[in-house]
Amino acid sequence: MSGVQSSSVPPGAQEYGGDEISALVLDPGYSSVRAGFAGEDVPKSVVPSHYGTIGPLDSPEVKYIFGDNSIHTPLPNLHIHNPMSKDGTVEDWDTATKLWEYAITSRLTNFKASNPAMNGLNDPPENGGNVEADIEASGEGEKPLEDNPLLMTETGWNSGKSRERSIEVAMENWGCPAFWLARNGVCVAFAGGKASALVVDVGVMRSPLAGNFISQQLRILFSTSNPQIPLIPHYLVASKTPVDAGAPAVATYRQFDTSIHDSFRRLEEERVLQEFKESVVQVWQGPGRLNSGQQGTTNEEVVKSWPGRPFEMPDGWNQVFGGERFRVSEGMWDAKMALTDPENPAPPQSQTIPALIQASLAAVDVDIRPHLLANVVITGGTSLLYGFTDRLNSELTQMFPGPRVRLSAPGNTAERRFASWIGGSILGSLGAFHQMWVSKKEYEEHGAGIVEKRCK
Amino acid sequence: MPAIISPGSQTTLAQLGLPESFTPAKLRLPTRMFPAEKKGEWEPCKIREIRSKKEKTKTDVVEDGSSDKKEDVDMLDVDEANGVKSLANGESRNEEDDEPLYEEDPYSEEGAVYPLKGGIVTNWPAFLALLTHVHNTLSPPFHTPILLIAQPAWTSHDHELLTQFFFEKFKTPAFCIMDSAMAVCYAYGIGTATVVDVGYEKVDITAVSDFVAHEVGRGVAISGYGGETMTQSLFELLGSKGWTRDMCEQLKKSNICEVLPQGTILPGEPQNDAQTITNPAAAAPTGATESGPRVTISDVDMRDDDPIIKDGEDNDGVLDVASIVASGKTAEFLARKEREKAERAAAKKAATDAANAVTKPTRLPNSKKDRNTFWYEERRHSHEDSDAVNESGRRATEPNGSKSGGDPKRQKTPEPEAEPGATSEAKGDAAGDIAMTEETEASRREKDKAARKEEKRRNKQQLLAESRDVLRKEIEVGVERFMAASGGILEGVADGIHRTVLAVEEVGKRGELWDSLVIVGNGSKVRGFKDALVAVLNSKYLISPSSATIFTSELPSNLSTPLATGANTPQPQLPGMSHSSNVNPLLLAATTASNPALNPAASVISHQHQQHNLHSSHGQTPTSIKLAKIPEYFPEWKDVGFEEALFLGAQVAAKVVFVVDQGISKGFMTRVEYNELGPSGIHECSL
Repeated sequence: MSGVQSSSVPPGAQEYGGDEISALVLDPGYSSVRAGFAGEDVPKSVVPSHYGTIGPLDSPEVKYIFGDNSIHTPLPNLHIHNPMSKDGTVEDWDTATKLWEYAITSRLTNFKASNPAMNGLNDPPENGGNVEADIEASGEGEKPLEDNPLLMTETGWNSGKSRERSIEVAMENWGCPAFWLARNGVCVAFAGGKASALVVDVGVMRSPLAGNFISQQLRILFSTSNPQIPLIPHYLVASKTPVDAGAPAVATYRQFDTSIHDSFRRLEEERVLQEFKESVVQVWQGPGRLNSGQQGTTNEEVVKSWPGRPFEMPDGWNQVFGGERFRVSEGMWDAKMALTDPENPAPPQSQTIPALIQASLAAVDVDIRPHLLANVVITGGTSLLYGFTDRLNSELTQMFPGPRVRLSAPGNTAERRFASWIGGSILGSLGAFHQMWVSKKEYEEHGAGIVEKRCK
Repeated sequence: MPAIISPGSQTTLAQLGLPESFTPAKLRLPTRMFPAEKKGEWEPCKIREIRSKKEKTKTDVVEDGSSDKKEDVDMLDVDEANGVKSLANGESRNEEDDEPLYEEDPYSEEGAVYPLKGGIVTNWPAFLALLTHVHNTLSPPFHTPILLIAQPAWTSHDHELLTQFFFEKFKTPAFCIMDSAMAVCYAYGIGTATVVDVGYEKVDITAVSDFVAHEVGRGVAISGYGGETMTQSLFELLGSKGWTRDMCEQLKKSNICEVLPQGTILPGEPQNDAQTITNPAAAAPTGATESGPRVTISDVDMRDDDPIIKDGEDNDGVLDVASIVASGKTAEFLARKEREKAERAAAKKAATDAANAVTKPTRLPNSKKDRNTFWYEERRHSHEDSDAVNESGRRATEPNGSKSGGDPKRQKTPEPEAEPGATSEAKGDAAGDIAMTEETEASRREKDKAARKEEKRRNKQQLLAESRDVLRKEIEVGVERFMAASGGILEGVADGIHRTVLAVEEVGKRGELWDSLVIVGNGSKVRGFKDALVAVLNSKYLISPSSATIFTSELPSNLSTPLATGANTPQPQLPGMSHSSNVNPLLLAATTASNPALNPAASVISHQHQQHNLHSSHGQTPTSIKLAKIPEYFPEWKDVGFEEALFLGAQVAAKVVFVVDQGISKGFMTRVEYNELGPSGIHECSL
């Protein structure tokens, strides 16, 4: 990798190798799988990582349901799962492979659609080498990615075993001609145009204090407030009627003959929470923390005097959220401020964002630190919360008063959310990168272990 | 003079050339192919082998053994004396009696292969054969650029395959693939819209902002919600009563099939029953308080609304209230009045029921009638009939349309006799003299009109001729006709729309997207579908102004939130700044400046202005839901409706890209570029 970054001379013509290749970039995460062609500016295919199954899991007749189009339909016996573990590594390889394959084949390349015996593709071409025959032949591939090299991202803490597994999937299952595994942190730095950077990636799950943490905080907030705030997802509501703020909802609900599994309801509740996060939740932007402040009042008091933001639940219940909307995000910065309930104790102080940054900076050489602080790249959907960047800036300048702190956060939402994919896309389309690919031949020669040697 | 091809799961629309005023597609073909005798080859309609020893005196029989490629189905010649038609393109010839004869059966669906399923190409050989057939039917002269409307479900790989196919098979000089949602935006002349395309087996929902379709979160080919779904639910309801699928299909297309807004009480049914059927959820036990759209309307009240009965009998005459009160018998009087009223209502009810039974209710709107009738056309299969041969001429472009996937009401815009002339003219000015083309087009349109009259007359005759084949039956149907959407299609589509709009990252754009819903696709043609869908959206998703912020919402929104630094505020972005992969909207502004009707970009600018003034204390959307305004300046489209607006948009785009812009801003791929870049170059320049 360092070879690519330091090369300031344009590569010779022979290094381009296959200039015509269209490499695929796959960036799996806990909330979504991003896939697209290298060189494009946003991933074409963004598929939720959650998938549904119908029927008993271990039996052959289990039916898998992938993609936003189908997993949100309430069906009896529909269970929602996620193949990724909470820290962004793969837990269930078999399904993850299927899910990624879906992400790639549904929008990007073709996959064999019908039985080869039936679709007429294998019939001997009688019109000798004309265009139609050529096209038919190109659809004949047994494996979906036979002419696309694949660049996959991984978390920095991916285990050696799962790295080997990913090259196996790419080579054996998909028949990729070449493969590369890139750390997503590095990709984010690429997308930000930095050779070295401190990457703060606040996605859904990667650190224990990311998107799902806020969802959790919201759930606690809703259940502990008095009266309880109902969290009714859209699919349960047939129609709603406007009611006064805080008044009980007046709505007609849908009734299902068969019970809908809890995991489905949870997924749908997440959609409501997502909307809540987008339109209500805010981060206290500093200076100081929410519970500190000047002249005897705390910032929390200040915030309470600000006009609140209303939110309407799918069933019509609505209320204005004042100080609470700052409170739910405060746990990311200050563990003491996190809302807790018996099942969800406060996170350790060492897991808050400032503490994590401090720890990772402490791990690098002291000379590099100022350089890193001047190149802080922020990415991940959760970082889009109002005030997040300001707060991070204020926390960092407070922690490191000496060196100059410069944050770089793309204003474009898509760039912020998909930075690691975009980095992969840039990497994969670099001419100089083509010599880095692990080719199929190398894989056949050295086995899956080659990924440990090459992709560092 | 570009050619436009727009394949759909059921019907493929195509047209050669751009008339001065854009018309609905000239050519409508069913998207299906039939395996031919020889394996790997395909025919556009069912070919049957007949061994007829009949003497062929007048009728020419089309020999269609290996290839249909050269036929021009549109050039019909009618032998009006005996209603016999034959292909007049010189291909046909008399057969030797001992050779097997082939006949085309334009109506048979036996063995048909529909290569597009739910927008996805499932059978490439058949699909390519279909494209070849469409291309040959259009029979464009050389140097005809082609615009292909792409289904959203097509993958990048599909686009490359098609590019390769069009360039290498048809030797087209220029080729362009345009996304169907984008085409709809061009038709409506708006850059920001939520396009809902209700197709045959699927619905596509696309959020387009500033002429860029949001790929992330796009509802691509959501299967199970389409016109077919509605036929299916009708069939489920009526199948047990001896209805066939075809009857349900025709019922759906008839104008008595209607989708009523949620909670509407069906006529002639006891109220409770009606509700459980239209909206099972509404009858379900509800939460804390009973509410909402369940407006209780008593039977008598409903009758009062009926125009027939509302003859003023009910307003108890003019009463001298004062005298009654003075007489001190108020209670007694009122009771008597009540009794009279009830009696009258009962009598009236009986009367109307009787009236309904005699199918007399002419003035009642369909939605109030218990039962209604429609004409069902059944096609008799009479292959051995000598008529069958004649039908071969009519086949795919069967003007009556009932089998060609279109609406039976809609007449295919007739192909005028002027066509061959226009074609040869076009050959003359193949170099692309635009002015010339337009002139000829104007004159052609004149001829068109004349031709249309002629065609109408002819259609009538055809109908007469056909009446031997077609059985027309009047069929009566009850309230089932209001239940086409009972399978949850409205809820499903509404959820898809909600999901798609919320997936748009620029929060500021969402309000605008909710305010410009565009519902197209022939699936949405069912009466009342669009209104019912909007009603569902309104009742499920509309965010009403919160009573708690009634006063604060008057403040500019940035008082309630800390001033944004810009880095983390999703700001509405200027068009063209954030996305590089699209045709520059400025191009549109420049290229269409002379013709304001074609200028969708102008409306973008005005939208932008609106946006800045928008403020709401709600970050949540939608605070209002509106359908986008239907474009006004296309008279030909007004009559047929804008369900196929994507074809209109395709014509606008073809004009912009091929005629006005002429490739300056890479709206299409030229042959030279194809030779240089190969098929993957299409991604650089498709719309």
